[in-house]
Amino acid sequence: MSSTINHLHHHHRIDGQISPLTSSCPHLADFRSRNGAKPFRALQDCLRVKPPGGRAGIRREPSEVPRCAACGDSSPSRLYACVACAAVFCHAPSGGPSHASAHAASMPLGGHEIAVDVDRAELFCCACRDQIYDRDFDAAVVLCQSAALKSAITVQSSGNPENMRKRRRVDYRPWSPDVRERLLMDNGSSVLDCEIDRPRGLRGLNNLGNTCFMNSVLQALLHTPPLRDYFLSDRHNRYYCQLKNAASGGGKRNGGNGGGDNSNGMIKGVKLCLACDVDAMFSAVFSGDRKPYSPAKFLYSWWQHASNLASYDQQDAHEFFISMLDGIHENVERDRGKPQSPGHGDCCIAHRVFSGILRSDVMCMACGFTSTTYDPCVDISLDLEPHQVTAHGKTSAKSHPSSNSEANGFSSTQIPTTSTLIGCLDRFTRPERLGSDQKFFCQQCQVSQESLKQMSIRKLPLVSCFHIKRFEHSHTRKMSRKVDRYLQFPFSLDMAPYLSSSILRSRFGNRVFSFEGDDGDDVAANEMSSEFELFAVVTHSGKLDAGHYVTYLRLSNQWYKCDDAWITRVNENVVRAAQGYMMFYVQKMLYYRASAQVCPS
Amino acid sequence: MSGPNEDDNGKLVKFVSFWLCIKQLSSQLFGNLLNSIIADVASECHRIAKLGLDRNLEEEEEELKLSAEARASVADVAAETNGKYVMDIFGQTHPPVANDVFDCMNCGRSVAAGRFAPHLEKCMGKGRKARKATRNSTAN
Repeated sequence: MSSTINHLHHHHRIDGQISPLTSSCPHLADFRSRNGAKPFRALQDCLRVKPPGGRAGIRREPSEVPRCAACGDSSPSRLYACVACAAVFCHAPSGGPSHASAHAASMPLGGHEIAVDVDRAELFCCACRDQIYDRDFDAAVVLCQSAALKSAITVQSSGNPENMRKRRRVDYRPWSPDVRERLLMDNGSSVLDCEIDRPRGLRGLNNLGNTCFMNSVLQALLHTPPLRDYFLSDRHNRYYCQLKNAASGGGKRNGGNGGGDNSNGMIKGVKLCLACDVDAMFSAVFSGDRKPYSPAKFLYSWWQHASNLASYDQQDAHEFFISMLDGIHENVERDRGKPQSPGHGDCCIAHRVFSGILRSDVMCMACGFTSTTYDPCVDISLDLEPHQVTAHGKTSAKSHPSSNSEANGFSSTQIPTTSTLIGCLDRFTRPERLGSDQKFFCQQCQVSQESLKQMSIRKLPLVSCFHIKRFEHSHTRKMSRKVDRYLQFPFSLDMAPYLSSSILRSRFGNRVFSFEGDDGDDVAANEMSSEFELFAVVTHSGKLDAGHYVTYLRLSNQWYKCDDAWITRVNENVVRAAQGYMMFYVQKMLYYRASAQVCPS
Repeated sequence: MSGPNEDDNGKLVKFVSFWLCIKQLSSQLFGNLLNSIIADVASECHRIAKLGLDRNLEEEEEELKLSAEARASVADVAAETNGKYVMDIFGQTHPPVANDVFDCMNCGRSVAAGRFAPHLEKCMGKGRKARKATRNSTAN
């Protein structure tokens, strides 16, 4: 089969749109102008789908065994049925004998060039001797495949299906200040000095006693572009917020439960607001003062919010990250009256920045019935690969309760390959067989059946945080094991293959069709912005309970190491070689390159 | 004229040709299955490539190469962790335990930054030791 791979594709992605392709086969264009799309739709009666969720084939009768009309052979790997006259012929690859091409050539008036692969339901041009694609034909196949499956959207954790409605979007309008506005800006602000090698906002954080877990996450958040911009543009003014709280009689208790009262508290009676402490931190860190900052007030506020984590022990940075976002959310949410759609970040800046929506599909393997659930998430936790190849080349299976049992297929001659973030994401979105001990109740069969589960991303957040599960906790909450294996992570990441629209499309054989996941503004937003840039990496070194967290930050394309109070410049190779624990990626269009100047390393 | 030997010969010939036939058929069957699988993969990849759905493998390979080169060129990671005695990019050095002093916002006492967390833990009545003490004192 001849095929030319167009290298331009990765510059302007076509995403399943085939307008450039119908023009590539003149015979298809000719066929369509003669017959329209009717013959393709008529083929629908002959489309047979092997359940459940299986491939479509072409059979006149369900039990038909297709044979070549010329040689009678039923065994060739490719048999094509002429769309014009329904005769079936065989075809051999690479210029071998083709009764299908002979048939097309034998028609003096033409019109018999287009055929369909009886086993794969793919269109073929016998004159060009190449596989071709047509939107209407694909639509017929998808409709047939989906008629064989039933599906239901179960909205469990994320509220009403109405939340999936289109949200009103504002058109982009470019803006520059006029004379009056420029005067206002000049009078009301001070110009930041643009020292390339001493970027603003780069400031060490003092370790207050085993608090590197907190410092590492704080450094990443202080340089999360949308979060930084929010606080630096005074969107949460701590003075105004405290005034408002005092005025509303803020005599609420200062959060936390148990652990005694703050009878010695100097700030008793003032409502606790973590966002105010974050605002204070942003102001301090971006002030230009280079002496390391002590996030003491923040620690105090956070311990009141997350009293179960309030202890002098070393904590988990990821746990702190979740807790901090939750703290910002809790304090802001109470003030809002309007209903919010979960996952869209209407509630607070923490969710506006980090919240995405995950989609989970569970398909019954007996009847094909698929149940879909949407859940908001603020990050994605990924498992490392469950296998390792030892020196002798034999594989040792490490059992994970949640790992994919399909992975137990490595041969003993497997070459050791590096674990990659992309590999983890591939595994995260791969169909996973839920074993016989995890049967799922199928609404159609009305019994628990073995099922296939697949995750995908319905909506991407502005900032994607990937958490690598390097720590295995035992049920007593003491950390029991750390996985030190290196994980490669890219500096630029395209999340398109993991979107629900892509996953759904590939489930239906990558047919050209507007799938259910393709509607709504989420998808439009996704397609514009699936490209991400790495800007922060939190690493952990050392043993489980005697380890150290360090954050690497990327500012103006230069990497800095933030080790508590010590900020140093490092070569990007140090970051590439580091053992990533949490990786922060921001949507490319929010990543400011305009001011980036590459520093000579 | 056929004697016992000729009968056996005939059976042997029949058996051998039957066995050769089976071999040929199974070989053909395997070949057909293999061709079919190859055509499956080719057809799927062709569609992905033509519709522009393929991942940019060149970029991914480039990133892997950069990562391998980086790991080879970077010195032992253990050396990196000894970062407490360096000068930072602003030309400052700092003691291993931060000695900035400020007032505790819970009790008002002066505390050194590097010892603030253990102080606060006791001061707020948090932590295991403090919790144990409270529990004991309130137990009946």
